Amino acid sequence: MGYVAVRGGSEAVARAEELVDCLRLLGGSTPLQLPQIRDQLRHAVSRAMHEGALYAPLLAALAVKQAEGDSIEAAFLLRAYRTTLPRVMASLPVSGRDMRCLRRISASFKDIPGGQILGPTTDYLIRLLQPALMHEDVRSVIAATERYQALIAAGGQQEGEIGRFPKVIDYMRQEQMIVDLPLEPPAEDPYDITREPLIFPCPRSARLQALAQADTGSLMSLAYSSVRGYGDAHPTLIELRYGYIAVQVAHPLTGEPVVIGEIEATEAEVASKAHSVTNTNEPPRFNVGYGFAFGQSELKVMSMAILDSVLTQARAGSLAGESGPAAQEEFVLLHTDGIEASGFVAHFKLPHYVTFAADLSVLGRARDHHAQRQTRLNQLVDQAIKEQ
Amino acid sequence: MLSTSHILSCSPPHLVCELAEQVLTRYDREAITFISGPRYVLVQLRVVDGVAETVFHAGEILATETRLELNGQFGFGMVIGRDADHATALAVLDAALRMPGNPHADLYPRIAELERTLRAACEQRFAAAAATRVAFETF
Repeated sequence: MGYVAVRGGSEAVARAEELVDCLRLLGGSTPLQLPQIRDQLRHAVSRAMHEGALYAPLLAALAVKQAEGDSIEAAFLLRAYRTTLPRVMASLPVSGRDMRCLRRISASFKDIPGGQILGPTTDYLIRLLQPALMHEDVRSVIAATERYQALIAAGGQQEGEIGRFPKVIDYMRQEQMIVDLPLEPPAEDPYDITREPLIFPCPRSARLQALAQADTGSLMSLAYSSVRGYGDAHPTLIELRYGYIAVQVAHPLTGEPVVIGEIEATEAEVASKAHSVTNTNEPPRFNVGYGFAFGQSELKVMSMAILDSVLTQARAGSLAGESGPAAQEEFVLLHTDGIEASGFVAHFKLPHYVTFAADLSVLGRARDHHAQRQTRLNQLVDQAIKEQ
Repeated sequence: MLSTSHILSCSPPHLVCELAEQVLTRYDREAITFISGPRYVLVQLRVVDGVAETVFHAGEILATETRLELNGQFGFGMVIGRDADHATALAVLDAALRMPGNPHADLYPRIAELERTLRAACEQRFAAAAATRVAFETF
């Protein structure tokens, strides 16, 4: 059997794509509408957006539908779409301080100004399937509307800066509980990994950008490894907040800030005690990591914040004991982009006829070499070596 | 108090378009010159991290942008999402509200009304969230 380079198969490829569409729609269910996905599969949409690095909820819903729920594929579709549009400007910097929070919790302090607002979460529920969801209809929507009105009534009158809360980290900084991070040379613009290659050691802005668009599962695994024992992370959540942030750009004529709308986002700060253990030159303080993502993406921002903290400590040389893979910035940042990683792994499904022909040739030579060693004398020598 | 651009970008698009229509009734078609757009564009989101105050890029935002001149006055409209009508209405209103002599002062009461509606919706949304505030029991 010979192996040769081939071309063709375009008709089969087109039909395979058709088959996907057919199988998706022939199951007898009603085709999904994008608003349904955007509203009822919020976390899938959020994940597609932050890993695709594009805030576009309705298009993310389309990507989730087209990818049949595959989160990495959906992110890939969004990132590909992103390349078709011109980038006309950067926003004015936004801060979590300006977020109007639907959810805001701290695991560090029980009493925080404004209180702990659980918001929309299932964190504290037992993981039981809810059979009632199998039979939802318009009556369920009416009932949900009534329940929502009751929640509004229970929440009471909102006054002042609605949804705005002071940051817990600002209190900690004021009390000198947290470490000052190493100063970087001031840069006019933050690093942009979509235009410049990642070179290590990279600026903090590059690290945060890379982590913000990284695959959630990859970040979670590495963060978990550092917490569990292959590293030195001892995280405590300072604050996690989810809500709305107004985005501003500079008016092209006057330069004054112009709001172009609001986005949903999640951010977290995580404290680690490691710095206080090992650095004896400075008064003991907590090290802190930061996480940010589009949509409601709590696992992502927690993992990002833990890794940011670990990487900062590793660079400062303040980790105790074995640092583990999560403390190697180059390893973390170059292997956690879901699009790059999945693309590389999945490409092995594509024809490799020529490279495999070369492998076969190597295998043949190896076999010949092995056969030549099977003379009587070789066998005796091999046996003697083994018995030594 | 919200800025005018905040109110107009977050209000229901059809209401903002009505305001723009109100402005356009005073001008001929020739008074409007499109400089660019409406077109879909990307705005790179810059975020200040809460730890070291580092500014970084957190991704792109899909937006629609229109730049035009209304009776010689430059107008800029940009809104998150894909909505050419909304972006163009914002550009028309931006130009109208910048005109010397304030000839479109009649827009302000309508904008104030939009702000009240927006604020009411916002209050409801955050009241529902406030209902989940934890009341700790201490032992």
